Amino acid sequence: MIPDSACLPGIKAQGVKRYFGAVRAVDGIDFTAPTGAVTALIGPNGSGKTTLLLILAGLLQPDSGTAEVAGFDVARQNRQVRQKVGWMPDVFGTWDALTCAEILATFGQAYGLPNPAAKDRAFELLEYLYLTEFAKAPARVLSRGQKQRLGLARALVHDPEVLLLDEPASGLDPRSRIELRQILRDLAQRGKTVFVSSHVLSELEEVYDHAVFLSQGRTVDATAADQPTQQRGWRLDAADPVSLRVFLDNADIPYTQTPSGTEVSVQLAGYDSAIALIRAAVNANVPLHTVAPIAGKLEETYLALNEERI
Amino acid sequence: MNNWTFSWNGLKTVVGLELRQRARSKRWIAALIAWMLFIGGITALIYFSIFQMATESGTKDPWGTVAPVSFGVITYFVLGMGLVIAPAFTATSINGDRNQSTLATIQATPLSALEIVLGKLIAAWGVAGIFMVAALPFIAISMIIGQNWAVSLWQVLVCFLVVCLEVAVVCGIGLGMSALFSRPAGSAVMTYLAVVALTIISALLLAFLSPFVTAMEPYRSYDQAWEEDTGESLTQVNPETGRTEPQCRWSSYESYTYHMERIWWVVAVNPFVIVADAAPLPPGASDDLGNYVSSSDDPLALLRAGVRSMAEYRPNTWDTCIDYYDYYDEYSLYQRHIAADGTVTITTKKDPNTVVYTSPVKEVPLQAGPPVWPWGLGFNILLGFFFFWLAVRRLSIPYKKLPKGTRVA
Repeated sequence: MIPDSACLPGIKAQGVKRYFGAVRAVDGIDFTAPTGAVTALIGPNGSGKTTLLLILAGLLQPDSGTAEVAGFDVARQNRQVRQKVGWMPDVFGTWDALTCAEILATFGQAYGLPNPAAKDRAFELLEYLYLTEFAKAPARVLSRGQKQRLGLARALVHDPEVLLLDEPASGLDPRSRIELRQILRDLAQRGKTVFVSSHVLSELEEVYDHAVFLSQGRTVDATAADQPTQQRGWRLDAADPVSLRVFLDNADIPYTQTPSGTEVSVQLAGYDSAIALIRAAVNANVPLHTVAPIAGKLEETYLALNEERI
Repeated sequence: MNNWTFSWNGLKTVVGLELRQRARSKRWIAALIAWMLFIGGITALIYFSIFQMATESGTKDPWGTVAPVSFGVITYFVLGMGLVIAPAFTATSINGDRNQSTLATIQATPLSALEIVLGKLIAAWGVAGIFMVAALPFIAISMIIGQNWAVSLWQVLVCFLVVCLEVAVVCGIGLGMSALFSRPAGSAVMTYLAVVALTIISALLLAFLSPFVTAMEPYRSYDQAWEEDTGESLTQVNPETGRTEPQCRWSSYESYTYHMERIWWVVAVNPFVIVADAAPLPPGASDDLGNYVSSSDDPLALLRAGVRSMAEYRPNTWDTCIDYYDYYDEYSLYQRHIAADGTVTITTKKDPNTVVYTSPVKEVPLQAGPPVWPWGLGFNILLGFFFFWLAVRRLSIPYKKLPKGTRVA
């Protein structure tokens, strides 16, 4: 049997708006982020991602609309929201004079953990994020990526039900990014609601379950941008590149050759066209070994949304 | 509601964070040692210069004079230094944290705005308090130097407590300013301006307001009479002593009179006035403050007497005739007496029952009177609370309106 809480969405936003004077930072946001899943928040610079996260973290009052986090209203039940949410801002300031372990223990206390438990939790998190060797080092000696990991540890200190991560991957090296992905998956599997904004779309590509697209402060219906007839770039390669090019010439399909030589790219409208092309190529005895969309799905959708900017 | 909840655990967390962040470093210990050397040096200088002055003026017991005078001067000095260092601990506390992006992460925890601001206030007051405690021995030295406990433990404790309260007030003002202004430089300047307004500006304001409370008023004085034609002073022979004495009569003038009793309260908010007024007096001194001031040179009592005499309106009636027996008494023939009702009489030194002159003007001694400091200190504490409240308001989340030029995170 599925427990009731599993059915509740971790985050539910309806008609959320927030203006700063004339600037419509957030101008009508509707979405739900389910528990036990990673939901990606995607949008160009200035689309209102950080403002939306501030509202969900309980720091900003929405001008209109309602937002519920872990079942609590951000405006009316602000304290309960803060108790349930772990927010990692895009800029993580540190207390120069405090050691990493002290910073985490202090935040543990701020969330009501008694002192020895807060210390234990601090060391547990340092280990979880591979920062144990820096436990007694002041936070100012950390590199940007290490600081970012400390920021994530800080957001996790009270084992929050909902995690709000603002650009967590920025500044991380490839290895740390893979570790971050594993952590996000791990948290989602433990029933947490993970809501993560990022520019590094290829990172999210492999970890997200749902996506929320923002453009000019509004949520955009991503399915509209993901039409099957949409032209997408595909990458083709064959053991015999010449026969592939001859085949494409005969079929009257325009292609561009990549500088590295053997690969070619073509524009296809939807999966049906791709299936038709593969079938024809196999019938024509082209030794095709690679057929893949050039960009990830998120990136495609993102770029499709962004066309209006140009 | 939400922003005004309070828990000891929350307060403890913020105080601990603040103390660790701001007060942990060897430099801090060095600053404390430098501070003690500085105060100690100034104290030594004050003692020796006052001792020097006392010996030069031929005082029989120079150390007896030195004790209350140095106690007053050092108390003023420590108060002044406290008012100077207190803004350093708070005036950039909130906007500094915001600029370092550490404020929003703290606000996003269940800690309330009240807990954050109160924690900052207590930590800053505690650190400033350590500096004050480090200065305490130098104030207390005057207790040991003075004979017969010329400066009492009670005096030292009361003055120290009032100084600490004034420092807390400035800490509160600094926190409010640091929440109000987005730039640390701006809030630091505004906090120092507030300190200057309480101390220097209040005194200047009194001086600049005084022309507005002056009026030409009748002025009566009992002077020596003179011959209208020749301008020669008139005299008479005193039947009691057989000596020639001046003949006196009333004359009236018009004169500019300062009605300081209408505006004196402007300086009641001055921390120096508050400390001076709150300082306990030695027994007996409060009945005749003027006499105590002139006999002890106690600077605390001097300021207190100055404020009290401004607050009390005295009719413009003077007896200059008495100077002949009092001020110009070259051979020390006479003795001055003041009765309980203020009647001043002059007798011969030989026989206190032989009254040679009775002044037509009664002399009412300046009394310590009802204390002024509770009003001044009360006003200052209210001011501190107001800025504290402002800081809590400014940190209250979720933010509805964001002040111009500030970011949440």
